[in-house]
Amino acid sequence: MNLEGIHIRGVGAVSAAGWTGADLLRTVREGNPLPAVNCARPGDERTWPCPVRLVPPPPPDKTARHPRMRRSSSITRYSVAAALGALADAGHDPAAPPPGLGILYVMMNGCVNYTGRFFNEVLQNPAQASPLIFPETVFNAPASHIASFLGIDGVVSTLVGNPTMIVEALDTAAFWIRSGIVEECLIIAAEECDWLSAEALTYYHPKLIASEGAGALLLSAKDSGQRVHEVIGPLCYTTWDERAALLPDLAAQTRAKLTGDAILIDDRCGIDRIDRAEQAAWSGAPWQAVRSPKLILGESLGAATVLQLVLGTLEARDTRQPVVVSMPGANTAAYACVITP
Amino acid sequence: MSFLPSQRIAITGAGIVSPLGLGWEANERALAADRSAFKPVDFFDTSGLIAKTGGVVDLPAENPFHSIPPRKQGNVDRGTRMLLLAIREALAQAGRNGMEGIDALVVGTSAGAMPLGEAYFESARHDPGRVPSQLSRAEHYQPQRQMNSIADEFGWRGPIIIVSNACASGANAIGWAADMIRSGRCKRVLAGGFDAIARLVFAGFDSLRALAPSGIPRPFDAQRDGLALGEGAGVMLLEAEDARQSDALGDVTGYSTATDLHHLTQPDPEGKAAIRTMTNACVQAGVSPAQIGYINSHGTGTPFNDVAEASAIAAWAGDAVSTIPVSSTKSAMGHLLGGAGAVEAVICLMALRGQWLPASLNVRTIDPAVRFDLVQKFRQARFEHALTNSFGFGGTNATLVLQRRSA
Repeated sequence: MNLEGIHIRGVGAVSAAGWTGADLLRTVREGNPLPAVNCARPGDERTWPCPVRLVPPPPPDKTARHPRMRRSSSITRYSVAAALGALADAGHDPAAPPPGLGILYVMMNGCVNYTGRFFNEVLQNPAQASPLIFPETVFNAPASHIASFLGIDGVVSTLVGNPTMIVEALDTAAFWIRSGIVEECLIIAAEECDWLSAEALTYYHPKLIASEGAGALLLSAKDSGQRVHEVIGPLCYTTWDERAALLPDLAAQTRAKLTGDAILIDDRCGIDRIDRAEQAAWSGAPWQAVRSPKLILGESLGAATVLQLVLGTLEARDTRQPVVVSMPGANTAAYACVITP
Repeated sequence: MSFLPSQRIAITGAGIVSPLGLGWEANERALAADRSAFKPVDFFDTSGLIAKTGGVVDLPAENPFHSIPPRKQGNVDRGTRMLLLAIREALAQAGRNGMEGIDALVVGTSAGAMPLGEAYFESARHDPGRVPSQLSRAEHYQPQRQMNSIADEFGWRGPIIIVSNACASGANAIGWAADMIRSGRCKRVLAGGFDAIARLVFAGFDSLRALAPSGIPRPFDAQRDGLALGEGAGVMLLEAEDARQSDALGDVTGYSTATDLHHLTQPDPEGKAAIRTMTNACVQAGVSPAQIGYINSHGTGTPFNDVAEASAIAAWAGDAVSTIPVSSTKSAMGHLLGGAGAVEAVICLMALRGQWLPASLNVRTIDPAVRFDLVQKFRQARFEHALTNSFGFGGTNATLVLQRRSA
């Protein structure tokens, strides 16, 4: 991968911690897991606990107004707020985005609220299923809404998959920028919570807590901002045993790139069976600090890795230290990167 | 916007699975016979829906996944099976036994493994208790988990990129793969798209009244009344020319994508984004509209799409418009959604290789917006460059330009 000369000029985040990157940084640094609430289920007959950590209601200044936003679900609202945050962080006027802006959007689960609602209508009576809802179920609906909101008629693309897919998006955005296809590129990843996905997580482990949110990175060739200095990976796998075997190599390759102190942002969620391989891979190094956003926020699937990257950017900016981001992934590929001030 | 140099991206293998048949030869025969392939959809209950037919793929009874034990075969979605068959054909055509030496797999899909997600939903809805089999559904519903099945089948490990830009996904995946080669990161990429007919999606298009009630799509007909859904997969093996390890069947010479902001599901009536993608893809390919010898249109058969695309082609081609042959192969196999762009790119390659033009079927009276040469019967032709358009929900427009290599 080649991110040479590419900078992260701005970041934005919406998470269970709040509607800004500053909320994310402060909450993760404080290190106290956010309170969880039981996820409501239609009929409310669930016989086992299913806790979730949801994004709090938006402050008034984060409520975006646009015709496309009237029907959009929470994943789009989070994404728009994160994107606007990244643009503002980069010094752009969000009301007048820069020309030549592209969008790469990443998700794992997607527009689950409207999808569940529409499919429920189909099962009940397909003749009465709402034609207004169906288009909102499509994976690229949020990216389309953001493009419309910002007036971006150039390249806009959505990737689906493992949360670490965002690293592939970084690589492609860098290529687009170097090639002149775009001037700057917003990389956005997001997820929204619903009862089905929250329950699905509990099948992986009963203590996994579902969360949601969005993060955005504004990539640019302009010489300001933080740099994704090194990217290690992809180390590809299809099983957890393979993943566990690859992570020590991922950590060793990353460490070899470091010359001094660094902060580690890992992917641990607080469940030993899931965390063990990553914890072992990165242990033994004198990290200046270790941040584990999932321990605080919960598991936000496709948004989890971008929230790590946003956090890493803010840490590098604030501490002037390099930040290592460990991105072991869920089921296809592991990456790590070093973000430098 | 600047444009990348027109680096030659060789296509050294291609695979196609469509309602017209499994493989290049079956599809070529069907297209040459102006055959269409619509039949009742019977994987789910279509009562209560207006449309009841689609372009259904006849998959072989035996499961193509040799690495998956019989008890786990249910974890592999129908669409993934189609994709595997198309990949196998593309690799074989390039003289390869497996995926060794492939740097990446880039796949477009709109629905992924939707039927597994539907099964998860139905089980959860009916049973508030913990159902152990739900874990498997939750796991394998994920499109990347389906792609892992393919990686496992070949014992291959490499980056898997899944593009989901609705009905433009397949074309975007091929363009994305070409960009990965142009960037220098990859020498050899398998790229394509797939989708199987799924209940949610079928009911969704039905709810939009986008499906032809008769089940017969009539792209560019003045009285067209909707599309037919189909399913299938198309795959190309793309190689950097300087690293090519087998004979090239053709080249991907141009690619462009842009966004139509008009509406979430309806195209801008003038097709402004399509004009840009056709223009930019041709600039990258170094060809003028007059040099395009065939356009495989998006051509869904809906009233809005076809008039917008016809207007865009006319505006883009200018004086050359009346000489450019255009057809929609969706008239024969339906709209393959995330697979459409890739399957239609493979059809363009087949047409370039065979020097023939597939037809737009079922046209009774040509829409007055059509100013191009609408191909209504299969015919022979001599041409060097083909262009294919794909437009998706969300406004994603994509255009690919392919060039012939002598057989």
